[in-house]
Amino acid sequence: MEISVFKEELFRQGLLAGFTEMEIFVTSARDFSVRVFKKEIDNYSLSEVWGLGFRGKYQGRMGYAYTEIPDQQSVTLLIKDAKQNAIIIDSTDDIDIFAGSNTYPKIEAFNPDFSNISVADKIEFALNLEQEAYSLDPRVTTVNYALFADGEGEVHIANTKGLDRSYQRNGGASYVSVVVKDEDEVRTAGRFVVGNKWECFNVAELAKEAVEEAVSMLGAQTIDSKEYPVILRHDVAGGILQTFSSVFSAESVQKGFSLLKDKIGETIAAQTITLIDDPLLPDGAGSAPFDSEGVATKTKEVIKDGVLITYLHNLKTAKKDGIPSTGNASKGSFRSPVRIAPTNFFIQPGDLSYDELMADLDEGLIIISVQGLHSGANPVSGDFSLGAYGYYVKNGKIDHPVDQITIAGNFFQLLKDVTRIGSDLKFGMGGSTASPSILIKGLAVSGK
Amino acid sequence: MISERVVSQVLLAALHTGGDFSEVFAEDTYGSTIKMVNGSVEDGVSGRDFGVGIRIMQKNRCVYAYTNDASPANLLKVAREAAAALADQQLIDAVVLNKTDVANIHLIRTYPQDVAKQRKVEIMRRAHNAASNYDSLISQITLGYFDQDQKVLIANSDGLFVEDRRVRTRLMISAIASKDGEKQSGFYGPGRHMGFELFSELDIEEYAKEAARIAVTMVNAEHAPSRKMPVVIHNGFGGVIFHEACGHSLEATSVAKGTSVFTDKIGQKIASDVVTAVDDGTIPNAWGSQNIDDEGNPCRRNLLIDKGVLTGYLIDKLNGRRMNAEATGSSRRQSYRQAPTSRMTNTFICDGQSSFDDIIRQTEYGLFAKYMGGGSVNPATGEFNFAVTEGYLIENGQITQPVRGATLIGRGADVLQKIDLVSNNLSRGQGMCGSISGSIPTDVGQPTVRVSQLTVGGRKGE
Repeated sequence: MEISVFKEELFRQGLLAGFTEMEIFVTSARDFSVRVFKKEIDNYSLSEVWGLGFRGKYQGRMGYAYTEIPDQQSVTLLIKDAKQNAIIIDSTDDIDIFAGSNTYPKIEAFNPDFSNISVADKIEFALNLEQEAYSLDPRVTTVNYALFADGEGEVHIANTKGLDRSYQRNGGASYVSVVVKDEDEVRTAGRFVVGNKWECFNVAELAKEAVEEAVSMLGAQTIDSKEYPVILRHDVAGGILQTFSSVFSAESVQKGFSLLKDKIGETIAAQTITLIDDPLLPDGAGSAPFDSEGVATKTKEVIKDGVLITYLHNLKTAKKDGIPSTGNASKGSFRSPVRIAPTNFFIQPGDLSYDELMADLDEGLIIISVQGLHSGANPVSGDFSLGAYGYYVKNGKIDHPVDQITIAGNFFQLLKDVTRIGSDLKFGMGGSTASPSILIKGLAVSGK
Repeated sequence: MISERVVSQVLLAALHTGGDFSEVFAEDTYGSTIKMVNGSVEDGVSGRDFGVGIRIMQKNRCVYAYTNDASPANLLKVAREAAAALADQQLIDAVVLNKTDVANIHLIRTYPQDVAKQRKVEIMRRAHNAASNYDSLISQITLGYFDQDQKVLIANSDGLFVEDRRVRTRLMISAIASKDGEKQSGFYGPGRHMGFELFSELDIEEYAKEAARIAVTMVNAEHAPSRKMPVVIHNGFGGVIFHEACGHSLEATSVAKGTSVFTDKIGQKIASDVVTAVDDGTIPNAWGSQNIDDEGNPCRRNLLIDKGVLTGYLIDKLNGRRMNAEATGSSRRQSYRQAPTSRMTNTFICDGQSSFDDIIRQTEYGLFAKYMGGGSVNPATGEFNFAVTEGYLIENGQITQPVRGATLIGRGADVLQKIDLVSNNLSRGQGMCGSISGSIPTDVGQPTVRVSQLTVGGRKGE
């Protein structure tokens, strides 16, 4: 049935079933992707999906349920399951469903021009990307990924308190991954770009960066185990920040899962660090005018000059701390309950280029990739130990590539040990969390 | 879910531009999760996923489209739109379906929908209490209850029409111990391809205590040393080493494109003599088992390595075309939103000859990795990393002090050659494996094995 009819029917039956307040959170998306392999279309994918999350307050508790079909059977299921899910909840401190903010910011998340790119152009882009990567170096034996994907979607929130808002977004991504081989030695590297302007997608640049990086790792060896000053390249620093971003969530703090408890107003990082959450960033993957509770979003400094200014809040955690929500309520998908997440989250760039950062290093390492962020990092303790590779730097210049090492440390210590910040902030694989390259005083490196 | 008549029309519509194979995968899944933090139920979420994926192949090309509008008119429209990616003469002008029953080898006694959510919460409370009473250092306990009932219909233009139902239940237990401002966690997550009867078959309190014990042991542990040393990897979830370092590189996804270190190595010695390994999707009620894979082929027991010699890969239909090889019942996908590809089911190293005690006794100095966390691997180079969630030093043939924060790194191909001792205590552990066709349940497993040398990365220097 039509979504407006479905909503009316759901709210009508929910009221009869004893729900006092109700809300739907609906996402819809149309996506396309094409992947080529050896000049042929290897994978071509189209999709159009829709999903609805329902939540309602029953006897003071919030119950959740979801569906992917707007039919009569789903109305019954949503009400029955949301009721059961409400009854089992122990805490009764759930906040009310939100009636809406006074004003909402404007964001530029939808670029109509980007939705008009022809399928033929997208396929040609992927084919050119593969071709270009092969042409750059004879040691490129395989381009194992050359893909282009794009999509557009809508987020719609409506509730019995009178809120009814939506926004649209679109964007694309491209990824190239190459395998280079020199005698028996194999190296790989990939490059990823996101954006909703066709100019963001540059075949020559993507292919060149991937191939150069893979080739640069040929001949890599492990190094002596000891503590080295380390430059974390922007994408590595961004990945680590993303892995530990939950420590800034007020939910983690209030539940005792974050060591940042009671640290507001204290210095928790080097003075050079300012950490920003900016939902209004033009073309940001995390940009949105309202959060998953319908609260208007806003830009804020989470760390300013090394001092912790605020946690990220939704309505529930904010009420507990007696402050307004920061507009960071988040649902992983329409199925998820309301939690907390950053929007576009990044360390403010400094003014040193990547090369200038390196020039400062008498002896040290540049880490260009880490492995195991999902397993070798513990957001509760802040400890991490990650497989890594990169370059050994001597007298401000890259001396040779290094692999088969691990870097180990602690996120909270790392924040304090940042001595210099680069200017190369870049949103990429990490989506909406990013960092410029950063120089760290010292990290334990394990090699031979 | 969808009638045979509509399915055959959709399969045919998908072939009108010259595809030589088309497939429909329809899914209706009920799932529920409950989260309990420190003894309180925080939220419960449940609902219904429903959708249809249509796949078309033309030689080595593949087109995939999916939607959750399963009306006949929309399915035909999606099939035609997907077919538009190809532009040849129609080859196949009729699809005749032959509906067959799938033999069910995974008996389900209590379906998730038939159990009141309060009873699921009671199980969680029992686990919470057991972990919480284990030690006063336990400061937080998070429990995640998960169950899923997935009904699938798989049909293709070769005439296949089958239906299957997969029921899975799991409890994830995470305990955190705190001491002097430091926190360490322990995890256990037992799961099976079964219904609520899981909890009458497992002693859930024992699993909860084990998670708590790991956390308490680790909060009292020193930092792990960092250097190369012999590493004894314990049974059960320790098998993640084989899953990551070897299993992924045996998937046709990377083998077919020549990007795996094991491409063209069938019949060659890729591991030491003591290593025999299988992928077995037929173990009754195991977490990674199914009756049929997500292309509708029966799951199988596939011998991968026999006494060190590579004997087989895990192959799906599309990559099978590229490799000129038969599919091995190994095609899997998270849901209708992904095209299937070759994946693991329950993958493990088989029992060897040594005893656990012998292995420790024969190790002068090294690391005993009792529990492993997750890890990842680059299939092209075989480089992997794993987190050790409970580790100990081995000194003079004895397990001595606990150490924390260790990561193991290496190359799969090297490690397989360096496994020098395999014990006889095979067991399996449960995990979720993420790759291009999504996140799927898999068992990893092995007996206790020793790797003669591996790089251990920890925060303490030499």
